[in-house]
This record gives sequence, C-alpha cells and structure tokens, in this order.
Amino acid sequence: MQTVKMVITGAVNAGKTEFIRSISDIEVVSTERRATDDTKMIKHETTVAMDFGRIAIADDLVLHLFGTPGQKRFDFMWEILSEGMLGLVILVDSTRPETFRETNRIIDFFVSFRETPFVIAANKQDRPNAWAPDELRLALRQPAHVKILPCVASDRASVKNILLELLYVIQENSEEA
Amino acid sequence: MALVGNLRDFGLSDFLYLVDRGYKTGGLHLAYQHEMALLFFEQGKLLLAVRRPEDVQAALLVRLGVLSAEELNRARSGLAMSADGTTLTQVIVEEQLVPRERLQRALQAFTEEAVYGLFAWPEGEFRFEQNQRPAHDTPVIPMPISVDHLIMEGVRRIDEWGRIKDRIPSTDMVARFLEQPREHLKGVKLSTTEWRLFARINGRETLAELAQKTGMSDFEVCRMVYGFLTTGLVEVQRKPRPTSRSPQPAEPPKVKKSLVNRIIHRIKDM
Repeated sequence: MQTVKMVITGAVNAGKTEFIRSISDIEVVSTERRATDDTKMIKHETTVAMDFGRIAIADDLVLHLFGTPGQKRFDFMWEILSEGMLGLVILVDSTRPETFRETNRIIDFFVSFRETPFVIAANKQDRPNAWAPDELRLALRQPAHVKILPCVASDRASVKNILLELLYVIQENSEEA
Repeated sequence: MALVGNLRDFGLSDFLYLVDRGYKTGGLHLAYQHEMALLFFEQGKLLLAVRRPEDVQAALLVRLGVLSAEELNRARSGLAMSADGTTLTQVIVEEQLVPRERLQRALQAFTEEAVYGLFAWPEGEFRFEQNQRPAHDTPVIPMPISVDHLIMEGVRRIDEWGRIKDRIPSTDMVARFLEQPREHLKGVKLSTTEWRLFARINGRETLAELAQKTGMSDFEVCRMVYGFLTTGLVEVQRKPRPTSRSPQPAEPPKVKKSLVNRIIHRIKDM
C-alpha cells in the first residue's frame, strides 16, 4: 500500500479542520483543543494542533491529509510531513485581514527553502465581507503564477476544486511514467 | 463590496500598494480614536485626502488661499450650469479661475500632508468603499497623484522596528531587484542616502553586510529596504545557507505523472 500526503496549513481559524472534514473518507482525527488559539497548545511539547483525514484512491494507494499549524515553531513536523508529500494548500481566512501577515509568514516558511507545489485557498468566500482572490493576491503580494483560488471549506465541491487545482500544479512538476 | 480591517494588521503602506496595483477606485475611510480620514482614489491614483469631514467641501479652496469667496461662488454657479458629471475642479480649470498648476500644487500639498500624518497612526479601522467617488463639488487634484512616493515618505517616518520586522524579520535577509518593477521606478524619489544603499543591492549580500559597507545602522538599512519593498522595487528573501547545521527539510522526490493522474481521477469522481 502506497501512501502520499498533502498538507493543509494556514493561520488560526483559517478553516483547516473544516477543509479536511469536507473531503475525508474517515472522521477527521483532531488534536483535542483546549483553547481557540493554536499557539497556546504548544506550551507542552507533546501537544500539537493537528488534523488528519484520508482519501482512498485505490486498493494500493491512499492519500493522507494533514492539517497543521503554520507557525515556524512547528518546523520539527517537517521531517514527518515531507516524506511522500505531494503538495501544500495554504488556507487564508478572506474575511480577516489581521491574519494576512501571519499567512505571509507561513508562505515564506513553507516555500522559501524548497520547491513545494502549493496553492492558496481564499476561504470563507461565502461571507459578505470576504476579500476577493484578486485583492488577496495584492494583499499577500503573490506573483501571478501562484494560484489563489476561491474556497468555501465547508463545501465539498469547493474543496475538491482546490485539491484538483493543486494536483494540476503537482502534475506540471511531475515526471513521466 | 467594502474591504474592512485595521491598520494594526494591514498597514497603510500595504493598503496603498493594494490600491495602486489593483487600480482601485473608491473611498478609503479611516478612524482612530477621535480622528478620521477620507482618501479618494481613481484607478489607483489619489484624488484627495482629508482629515476633517468639512474639508471635502468646496470651501477648502478658500481656506487654502487658492480661491477667493467670490471666485468660489462663480465656480459653483458654473458647476450648476454644467453637464452632469462635470466636477468643480474641471470648472475651475476650464474657466481659468486659477491656473491649473497652482490648484494642483495646493491640493497635492494638502493631500500629501494629510496622508503622511496617517503613517503615525499605530492602528485604526479602515473601510474601503469600492467605486465611491467624491461629490461633484468636492475639490480634487486635477492630475491625480501616484501613491508610490507617498509610501516612501511615509516609511521614512516610521521610527519603530515592529512594523519593519513584519516584512524583514532579520538582517540575514538578502534584497534583490524585482525583475520587472516597470513604471513604479518612475514614481519613487530617493534621497541621497537611499541611493547609496539602493545602488549596492545585489541579491547576494545580506542587509547586515550592506549596513557594514555603507556605515549605516541596521535599523536605517532595514527601514530603507522596507520602503523599497513596500513600493515594489525589491523583494527580500532568506539567504540560502547550504552549510547550515540547522536541519532543513529534504527536497521532495519528483512524483510520477501516472500517480498524480490516478489521484486526479479519484478526486473528480468523488
């Protein structure tokens, strides 16, 4: 059985758990959260706010989805996550500009050291005060080739679209046979 | 749809960048404690900025000494007889009540000062009303101004590390020129000191090394680079440290196209 991974990351309350829950074959395994602020969870080294979901691709292939906080202090998780990782979805709460700065840090952290295929999912586009993807591109200062896609993490079709768009990016970077 | 937020989280220079690059038209409403500000943009360029509600009225031109009360009345009469869509500024220029250059200078100086003061706000609610335009009798700058040099001047007034560190977390970063800064180079006016630094940016040396070479402090270098960064002239990135002993994640192996295609088919079928 081959397993491959995708990582779903983003600032606190960006919608990581909901995103995975919308598409996973199994009930999402989440770390018990005592507080709404993920950063409070790492006071004890053993507690990390993580979500885990799974999609069976075929009898011999499984896709694992890991939702992980974006803070730099979680860099130790990379050793675990990078093996077999196909790509990365960076979720941003489009209604909360106060999280854009943190999102930029996350993008910088996850992408600066390696050529990781990724897309940015502009979540909560169903809310009236959501910034549009074009506005987020300017706010996050992302070049035109980076995909910034509208997303509603609670909507399975929307999540499917994000994963497919990421897979198309991965496909471009993949090798034949 | 309005864009709302707080300057504490999304700074004024970031917002001006967004408006400029997005060619936005609309009114930016700002509020901090008992202060207010209103900025009008037309396709990314600034038409007027005021710090008092009454300054959007035509009497501003009398207060600025641009027009006499009598000339203003003539302008108002002309506006009343003009076709829909004509602005007070157009009437003033067309009827030659005051030379266009003088009107430009006065309103531009007034607007710039209004904006510079906003950079001192540590926070403040903002709301950008897309496509909101000033009233026809609101005096606006005849030739709307680029926000690039406003950003540079605003950044010069930043005197604390906090805001800079959001974008430049350490002096180990390397600055390099954007491949295509395009027309934005034109709108920026650099001081002599800024040129000294600007000319040394080479994409190899860290900001700390540039500070050493120029004899400037780390803070000075970071502040100037923050300005270049905010106006979109340069980008900063971490200097690759291949010999670093800190654990870096390994490059992911190339995946097979056939594997990706299988996953795509499965997701499509879900």
